[in-house]
Amino acid sequence: MRFVIALLLLFSNLSLSQAAKKQPVDFVRDIKPILSDRCYNCHGPDANNRQAELRLDLKEDALAAIGFEGRRIIHPGRTHRSELIKRIQSTDPDLQMPPADSKLTLSAEEIDLLTRWVQQGAAWDNHWSFEPLQTPIVPKTKNKVWSSNEIDQFILQKLEQQEFEPANPAQSNTLLRRLAFDITGLPPADELVERFERDSSPESYAAIVDELLANKHYGERMASTWLDVARYSDTFGYQVDRDRYVWPYRDWVINAFNNNMPYNQFATEQIAGDMLEQATDSQKIATTFNRLHSQKVEGGSVPEEFRTEYVADRTHTFGTAFLGLTLECCRCHDHKYDPFTQKEYYQFFAYFNNIDEAGLYSYFTTSTPTPTLRILSDDQKKQIAAAEMAIASEQTKLNQLAKQANEGFATWLQQRPSEASALEAVEILGLEQELTFEDFKSGANQSVEGKVGKAIKLSGDDAVGLTVGNYSRNTPFTVSLWMNTPDIKERAVVFHRSRAWTDSASRGYQMLIEDGHVSVSLIHFWPGNAIRVQTKEVLPPNQWHHISMVYDGSSTASGLKIFLNGKPAASKIVRDNLYKNITGSGGDNIAIGQRFRDKGFKQGLVDEFKVFNRQLTEAELAHVADGNSLSTLLAIPTADLTETQRQQLKQYYLSQFDEGFGNQMAALKAARDQRSKLVDGAQEIMVMADMPKRRETFMLSRGAYDQPTEPVTARTPAILPASESGNANRLTLAQWVTSPENPLTARVFVNRIWQMMMGTGLVRTPEDFGSQGATPTHPELLDWLSVTFMNNQWNTKDLIKTIALSSTYRQSSEVTDNKLTRDPENLYYSRANRFQLPAEMLRDNALLTSGLLVDKQGGPSVKPYEVAESFKPVARGKGEQLYRRSLYTYWRRTAPAPVMMTLDAAKREVCSVARERTSNPLHAIVLLNDPQYVEAARKMGENLIKEFGDDHQAAIAQAFRALTSRHANQAELDVISHSFKQQLTYFQAHPEETQQFLSTGDAQRDTELPADQVAAMGMVINLLLNYDECVVRQ
Amino acid sequence: MSSQTSQSCTGFESPFGLSRRTMLQRFGMGLGTIALSQLESAKMVHARDGVLKEVHHPPKAKRVIYLFQSGGPSQLDLFDYRPELEKVHGQQLPDEIRQGQRLTAMSGNQASLPMVKSPFKYSQHGESGQWISEVLPNISKIADDICIVRSMHTEAINHGPAVTHMQTGSQFPGRPSMGAWLDYGLGTENDDLPAFVVLVTKNKGGQPLLTRLWGSGFLPSRYQGTRFRSGQDPVLYLSNPQGLNAEARRQMLDRLKDLHELKLKQQSSPDLESRIAQYELAFRMQQSIPEVTNTADEPEHIFKLYGEAAKNPGSYAANCLLARRLAERGVRFIQLYHPGWDQHGGLVGGLRNQAKETDQASAALVMDLKQRGLLEDTLIIWGGEFGRTNYCQGKLNGDNFGRDHHPRSFSLWMAGGGIQGGVTHGETDPLGYNVATDGVHVHDFHATILHLLGIDHERLTYKYQGRRFRLTDVHGQVVNQILS
Repeated sequence: MRFVIALLLLFSNLSLSQAAKKQPVDFVRDIKPILSDRCYNCHGPDANNRQAELRLDLKEDALAAIGFEGRRIIHPGRTHRSELIKRIQSTDPDLQMPPADSKLTLSAEEIDLLTRWVQQGAAWDNHWSFEPLQTPIVPKTKNKVWSSNEIDQFILQKLEQQEFEPANPAQSNTLLRRLAFDITGLPPADELVERFERDSSPESYAAIVDELLANKHYGERMASTWLDVARYSDTFGYQVDRDRYVWPYRDWVINAFNNNMPYNQFATEQIAGDMLEQATDSQKIATTFNRLHSQKVEGGSVPEEFRTEYVADRTHTFGTAFLGLTLECCRCHDHKYDPFTQKEYYQFFAYFNNIDEAGLYSYFTTSTPTPTLRILSDDQKKQIAAAEMAIASEQTKLNQLAKQANEGFATWLQQRPSEASALEAVEILGLEQELTFEDFKSGANQSVEGKVGKAIKLSGDDAVGLTVGNYSRNTPFTVSLWMNTPDIKERAVVFHRSRAWTDSASRGYQMLIEDGHVSVSLIHFWPGNAIRVQTKEVLPPNQWHHISMVYDGSSTASGLKIFLNGKPAASKIVRDNLYKNITGSGGDNIAIGQRFRDKGFKQGLVDEFKVFNRQLTEAELAHVADGNSLSTLLAIPTADLTETQRQQLKQYYLSQFDEGFGNQMAALKAARDQRSKLVDGAQEIMVMADMPKRRETFMLSRGAYDQPTEPVTARTPAILPASESGNANRLTLAQWVTSPENPLTARVFVNRIWQMMMGTGLVRTPEDFGSQGATPTHPELLDWLSVTFMNNQWNTKDLIKTIALSSTYRQSSEVTDNKLTRDPENLYYSRANRFQLPAEMLRDNALLTSGLLVDKQGGPSVKPYEVAESFKPVARGKGEQLYRRSLYTYWRRTAPAPVMMTLDAAKREVCSVARERTSNPLHAIVLLNDPQYVEAARKMGENLIKEFGDDHQAAIAQAFRALTSRHANQAELDVISHSFKQQLTYFQAHPEETQQFLSTGDAQRDTELPADQVAAMGMVINLLLNYDECVVRQ
Repeated sequence: MSSQTSQSCTGFESPFGLSRRTMLQRFGMGLGTIALSQLESAKMVHARDGVLKEVHHPPKAKRVIYLFQSGGPSQLDLFDYRPELEKVHGQQLPDEIRQGQRLTAMSGNQASLPMVKSPFKYSQHGESGQWISEVLPNISKIADDICIVRSMHTEAINHGPAVTHMQTGSQFPGRPSMGAWLDYGLGTENDDLPAFVVLVTKNKGGQPLLTRLWGSGFLPSRYQGTRFRSGQDPVLYLSNPQGLNAEARRQMLDRLKDLHELKLKQQSSPDLESRIAQYELAFRMQQSIPEVTNTADEPEHIFKLYGEAAKNPGSYAANCLLARRLAERGVRFIQLYHPGWDQHGGLVGGLRNQAKETDQASAALVMDLKQRGLLEDTLIIWGGEFGRTNYCQGKLNGDNFGRDHHPRSFSLWMAGGGIQGGVTHGETDPLGYNVATDGVHVHDFHATILHLLGIDHERLTYKYQGRRFRLTDVHGQVVNQILS
């Protein structure tokens, strides 16, 4: 046998090389791939790794380069004067190229190709995929009858060159079945099969193509492919891998395809839907595409390390999905093979580096990582708008009360206490807890001399806990303290009310020292859903400062203030975007000096710590700091008051004594609480939203997050047509991607649609259109399709229709020995490709034909039987959850549905643009035994017995037709009937086992029917669900 | 497990460069020169070649059993005896030792980092006199068979990236695991069983594991590890549907074959022939897998050797025993996982417990393979993803302390398959923080394993997205000192 194969190998190589020798060497097809693969590692685009200053990726450099003894590297037409030829032919280890240590070699065939190329004049073309798209001339062919449209002319031209005949047209049933699966992912309906049997004319076929494209299942079929590209997953990934809410994005994809959204718009909305003018919720949900990468929560991780990974993932996904580029290759160094520099990588990176996101999601809460969009019904939106109006109206009323003349104030001003004894007793209302640290013991913290009596010296590892502080974002409050820091701290937690730092995204509120500045924050999810203000000045170390955090309950940064030694501290707003609750995360009370996995206030001193349940007025804040401001103010005779003093007293009066003002404060809080009721429970989804101030992007040495080098700004790479806009952002990037001048976008997408319809792409490496990728088997056809597609408003359904109507598509998949020998990969499309249906289609087919399929579109993911068998099992669902299309199966990134995995579904860890197709006995095991399939089989058996009664022959014929879309011949019917009888005999002899078999799966069974017959018919279906024509797209 | 078109869908392969295996798959069954009956029984179709037509040098090991101790076993309390720590117990970690190295965000913000000695006694064992801690009395007995590497180091500081690094050569997802690389490179000796089998200790808490750790990354999915479950179905849905016996199934498969052959008569089709073979193989696996996983035929003294727990399917001991049975039947790569080595706190009790679960069975596996003559060509590896700090995580309260993750140095041991027994390789500094001599990086570890299997780690490559990827990326030096 080996001998036969060796002979065959010899023969096939011989025939191929003879065929090849007939035609001149083609640089793009024959030479560039060799240069790229064997030479560019040392003589390519990567400047840092370039040897002998020789680069062979650019025409000018390569043809001008001079080698040993003044010889040119490539001397067109003169092989003996070309250093390159000498080196590749040499056997001297010092001269030989590629050198031995590269572990790369050239075959005799390749050396011959290079030699003939130089002989023939060393013609040089730029890399094909970066060349502009031009409409190619549709070729003429000898055969004038075969072609149905232009596609066929291109295909036929090559077939004629190879002396291949196209295959016969596929039988009409086979073709219809192929078409239905390719377009809808489901078998054709009985009615359609019958119709096409009656009338298989081209007109009838074209009408069916239209009908299938208009079928709502088309969007689902297209989505299941696109979700691989989008690395869709219902969980966050990495180790902990919690659930996340992203399914509205899947619905967006289904709808986009069903509505035949033009591909340029489809791309634009996903890249930058949020930046479109008056962006709709739907357009924002499209940008969830950029957030579907894995996200980390594992304790102890460095947030910036993972944030960098997220941006990188977005960049790589963008590159693969839309441009067919392997951008990840230039993350650490210039690309080894393609003309992209490391700098250009970070210029792409910069487009995606501008959202207010955290490197870790929250372990202790279920907060949605920012930026987010609230998913709201129109009704909810109206209610929220009404609540906002109410807040504004109550706020206006309060402001008016504060401004207008107030009789009560005038009276109070006259009657206020002024004698010394009363002044000493001035009491600041609302004090909930006070720590003076006299006689205070707490862990390793020390008691030392303080500002007033004793103070506490914090260890940094031991928190001082209070018993109060669980304020909502609608409650005004004040926290004040004396503090003294021993040094200018990079980061220290002075106090906080939260469960943890990154492990709960800091939900709650806090006072920190950051690079010596004091900052205070209220946070739902840091950084995108929070307010923070920070002092402009660095707090001088080794002296006592009185600091207050004062908050007015408004959820805005302007309502959050820092008072330093009784006066408002000059501050800047760091974040001003709090739109959800700050409570409910645990850590309900204030703690001083330490937080879980955060930097404590090591060696810091704290004294006189006070918590008030109201917003103190300026006079009170000054008083808390110095103990006399308010008393002094109160003692000034009315006539002597300055306007400022008068205002301070008015504030104090209103806040403490005025009933009307107090009532209005309560009304405002009630209005805010009403809003919270509406929004705090609202579901959020991760989307893109750019920060107003750009985050600076740096090149990263070796791609490492902690080794920034040169700053860069967003920009498209030099080798491709320039982006027109000046202010580069994701929207201009989307415009650049979808510009008709972009040579990649249409080619990449058209290639994937071709791959979907034909089984293989015209470019066999759909993920790589660069130097190391495959050159197109039919470059002119690819260009013709791409140009036509763009000229036709990027109409995806039309593109699919054009392919479906071609004679090329409609060929039979039967193959001759000649074709199999000379073209095993079917590079010339001299026949249709045969391959096993993808995982989703196998299961959906079983569900549909058994009548179990729940044909509901959209919505949350569901949990069929198999998720309970995954490596990280989750409880399976019940009822209709078991029978939805596989597209909706819950996708757990680190342990995906196991049957889908066995059946070669994409892993979806990263963007993937092609499914593998393997042949594996585990496929057989699943299709034979998986309860989902067995249940479908017994249900279908039951339906058949119900319909056909004792006429088992008719039932079998019907089953065969339903599962293969054709009539069985007599021999086939005999085999199946034989099987039915065998199984019937078995079940008749095993009544108990029959009951067991029939109770597979949750679906109700009809106990009126003869159990043995139902079971035996079920096994007939089990057989057919494993039959080649049922599971293979042919 | 044969393939139809896997190459063409994941990486571009020139039609000129078809391997013998590809030729077999593409043409071998399409010639019409072999009767189907021959096809089904011909062993040559069942044993699948790897991509390497021949190994690069004579291999010392033919298969690997990797006893992965997930969580980061504390090297300072198991193998890396650092008596100096007793003197500095409770003192702060000196800055000159830490050298500004990043710590995890768990202890990195601690105000104090007190060093802590091992609470366990160390003594020397065997003729080689290797130092091993008292918590591993059985592994101590095989001291002369194992090589302890005390100078392992890695980059990742958290479990996910670190385990991924050990198993795939990269911290980040997407690369094939070591077992997948070997399956791809060397193929299998017994196609009735998967070439790469994964066994995870059941009902064990600790840091979660991920299927990608035994995934095939960008290699075709048939190279991914097959996890054997401990329940009734070692492989998902291996058993016939409830109520169907083997005979009825066989009858149904015979009719399925009849139906396929009817089709084949009309039109020759290599992939249909492959499908027919696939169903025969599936049927054989339905027998061969339960046969290997059912340990009822093991004699009592074997259970004694591995420990009583070996009778409890899914336990570490049972998995060790199963690993031996798989090795005997020619499975190329057997990957065990035992989680729970993440002693951030309560180290003394925690470590004792981990040791109790693994010590006896790990040693038993080495002894058992040795007595069967299988140790010499089976490589055993025992180790985790990183080590633990010489300082205490949290507060040092007597014996109830913990240690944080430590990538700068950790220990593992190897035995059999061309590894020199009774050798300690590499050293850490006296405080057990940094590697002092003979550091072995993860890539070096991988290069060495491939070397033992006859593979030059620079020449086992797979082209994906235009680049030739290797298990060792662009790094890796074979550690020659530990080879026998």
